Amino acid sequence: MAPSTSTAAQPGPSAALAPAQEQPKTLDELVQYLTTTTGSAATVNGTLKTFGTKETRDTLLASTLGSGQDPLEVLSPETNTLGYLYILAARLDVSGALPPQIQHVESFCKRFTPEHARLAPDRISALAKGIVKASGENIKHALDPLCSIVLRYPPKPTYLTSVHPIFLHACVTARHFAAALPVLSTPIVDIDTTISDLHYNDNLLYHYAGGVVFAVLKRWREAEEFFEIVVTSPAQTPAAIQFEALKKLTLVQLILYGKAIQPPKYTNNQLIRMIKNSPYNTLGKAYPQTAASLTAIVQKDVEAFRSDQNLGLVQQVIDRASRWLIKKLTLTYITLGLTDIGKEVGVEAEEVRVIVLNMIEIGDINASISIDGNVTFADSTPQFTKADVDAALARAQEQSKLLRDVERALNSSKDYLQKALKHKDDAWGMDEDMYSTPPSGAWAEESMYA
Amino acid sequence: MEMDIDEQQQTRRTGVMRVLPIDDNHPFDLDQYISNYTGRALVDRLTFLIPQCPTLAVQAAQVAAKHIRNMRDTSLYSHLSIAYEQAQTNASSDAPLPPFHEVVSIDQTWIEETNRKNADERTKLEVELKTYSSNMIKESIRMAHRDLAEFHRSVGDYQTALKHYAKLREFCTTSQHVLDMCIAVLELLIEQRNYTHIPTYVFKAEPALDASTNALRSSTHISASSAATPHAAATAAQASRDRLMSERQKTQTKLEVATGISHLGLASYEKAASAFVRVGSAASLGAWATKVIHPSDIAIYTTLCALATLQRSQIKSQIMENDTFVSSYLESEPYIRELVVNWLGGKFKAVLESLEKYSTRHALLPHLAPHLSSLMQLIRSRAVALYFRPFATVKLEKMAAAFGWTISQAECEVVRLIGEGDIKGRVDRLGKILRAQETDQRAELFARTMKAGQDMQSANRKLLLRLKLQQADLIVKAPKQSNQPQQGSQQPIQSAPSQSGIGGFAGKVPEIFTNILSMGSGD
Repeated sequence: MAPSTSTAAQPGPSAALAPAQEQPKTLDELVQYLTTTTGSAATVNGTLKTFGTKETRDTLLASTLGSGQDPLEVLSPETNTLGYLYILAARLDVSGALPPQIQHVESFCKRFTPEHARLAPDRISALAKGIVKASGENIKHALDPLCSIVLRYPPKPTYLTSVHPIFLHACVTARHFAAALPVLSTPIVDIDTTISDLHYNDNLLYHYAGGVVFAVLKRWREAEEFFEIVVTSPAQTPAAIQFEALKKLTLVQLILYGKAIQPPKYTNNQLIRMIKNSPYNTLGKAYPQTAASLTAIVQKDVEAFRSDQNLGLVQQVIDRASRWLIKKLTLTYITLGLTDIGKEVGVEAEEVRVIVLNMIEIGDINASISIDGNVTFADSTPQFTKADVDAALARAQEQSKLLRDVERALNSSKDYLQKALKHKDDAWGMDEDMYSTPPSGAWAEESMYA
Repeated sequence: MEMDIDEQQQTRRTGVMRVLPIDDNHPFDLDQYISNYTGRALVDRLTFLIPQCPTLAVQAAQVAAKHIRNMRDTSLYSHLSIAYEQAQTNASSDAPLPPFHEVVSIDQTWIEETNRKNADERTKLEVELKTYSSNMIKESIRMAHRDLAEFHRSVGDYQTALKHYAKLREFCTTSQHVLDMCIAVLELLIEQRNYTHIPTYVFKAEPALDASTNALRSSTHISASSAATPHAAATAAQASRDRLMSERQKTQTKLEVATGISHLGLASYEKAASAFVRVGSAASLGAWATKVIHPSDIAIYTTLCALATLQRSQIKSQIMENDTFVSSYLESEPYIRELVVNWLGGKFKAVLESLEKYSTRHALLPHLAPHLSSLMQLIRSRAVALYFRPFATVKLEKMAAAFGWTISQAECEVVRLIGEGDIKGRVDRLGKILRAQETDQRAELFARTMKAGQDMQSANRKLLLRLKLQQADLIVKAPKQSNQPQQGSQQPIQSAPSQSGIGGFAGKVPEIFTNILSMGSGD
């Protein structure tokens, strides 16, 4: 059987001409078909989809061959991607079926042909869920295979798939936060529902979990971005997770900027109203103050913070307050004694020295401490090298090109053209405006910052 | 509108007032103050003054009672007694005030007689209005309404007075009538301190003023051309034009004053200042000088608002070089003139001292009183900022001396102003020196540009994702059983406790995430 596999399932012009084969009825026939067929991947997928009856399909797929052999031994992950995938998913899903060996799962995840697998997105989701289920308590065993799927399945790493949230959830559950970083490092900008059966929750959960991962790793800037994506995701009625994300976003911003920032204009109004009436807003308004008075404020609503499971973050916010107070002092004073700082910030002079030293070290402030305990704040003017500027320019050009492409794609999309044609007579002025926009229009707004 | 009036009167009468100091350092001359006003304006000011100056309460109450006897509003008595009672509670314990009935003898027969007379008059006027209304004579109806409005105003029933003025409007036939009505309403509104409605009537009056001036002008042309000799015609025309202009000037001045008071009442001090400097000569105030606002009050309002908001050059050109303003208003209050001169000369210590000296006088001006402290704060801040502007470094010691403060007081003030962004500088706490900020414009620009670029890129990225989500219709929607969100969850990962208190939500939050972060601080 093995030699025939090398000729199977190569999509191409000749594949379309291959005669339709008889529908396989049993698993043996199916495996036989899979290993010998020359049909295109789409044909194979069709056959697999209609294999057996709806009720018996998974049970059949999950059984063993007549010879008692494991069908996964026979098939190859590269060439029989689809067949392998269907059987694997069924085996993991059907209760009582023989669980697949771990190396089968791993080898599939590392070797499958992405183009073929994309024909059966629902099976990929099922497989991912099955992997999590099968790993049971030892969820860290699931991370590797899931990571391979997430990295290999989408056509580009910028696409979101339904496996993304499953993988991140597994990472968080297993507390292997760093494992998620290779995936999180590429921001999601593409959504294609044809390659993955996405639900709005997938997007929310992925970014929420990403935000949690970054927050745990204290990478606040990224955490802010991820939480903001959750908060600003389009919604008719906001989801509970969006409100939770907004709460965390507020806390992360307090840590990152020392103040809460108004969410973007396109945020759902209901969310903004709700956060205004929450203890998070009270905390943000009062911030930064001395740790003692902040603790008093938090204590008033401690139950709310506790039930939101945010007490840990809140504590970090409070710990951070003295740094923001010191930073504020640098704007007003040139020299200050450590004791004076301590008085303003509400901590002991020795502790102030530690904090100030640390802040100087990480570059938060530009200052020096004299022997007698006086701190001199110097102006910190940011310096940019030519390389920095060039890099920024290159990024800007890249963005500009990206936006131009998006605009072109939009202008040539069917929906847009239909609409434009319909309104051609009564909205000439508007259309003219659109077409006459110079190609650099995307970055034209930049001039106002210059 | 009626609600507004009620509330304002409430706060005016029940508001807690502090006792103002009156001594050699804070001189206040009651006799001079009351000589400026007559009638209701005087009584109102006295009732405003009594609770704040218990030492003057007896004298003020007697003067007020004397004036009330000449008017027809019997309710003023009770207002007076309320104010007096407040003064009694505010009075220091070693010099208690005599009870009200000992100070003012209330003439019950006078009250009853006045009430009866008022009722008679009212019936008479109402009957008149009815007769005119049935006769449909516009002009008579207008006058009947006007009389009724004036009557109600004199007995202190402002709301009915306003109602009649409003009705009167549809019976106005000439723009002069409209103008008369607007001025009367403005008087009423200022008396009530109903600042929000003043601009409405000013706007209504302005076109009417233009129209009536034009009408008068064309009529004088006709009369002039019919005169016998060309020379006589010319003089007549000249005389009538002068009269016309002064008429117009009078109304215009009143409108400006009303606008200024309204802006002041609404705390837009800069607009108030520029309205006040436009008012005409004191002569054109006419009866308003004693009924509504005395020229010396205008001088105080204008100067304080101007010092708090205008640039030094503006103060110079609009106040000191404004001949009408100087001769009509500034001259009537010499210390105010001195104040402006000192301000322009940079003698801030003298300015602040003089402001403190006359603080009692200022706090007793009804329109100014609620804004006095914020105006003083603004003036002080501007003084410090102006003082520092020409220097690169200033010793706090010198600064304190220039303002008559202690060093720590000066430091407090400076630190506050830096925090508010009014002073661009930083304090050297050890050397007690204030240093001006030197900004590297080029580096600043670079930093700002880089930040703008980064912000825009990340905003673009997020918006593109949002666009894609919308295109794919991945929009959060309410669960189908919106009344039971807990059951309606469609989330793939479910381990959440029920989220009570957040109704109408789609989905729930997996608990695992929240748990993790709660532990986050332990890492």
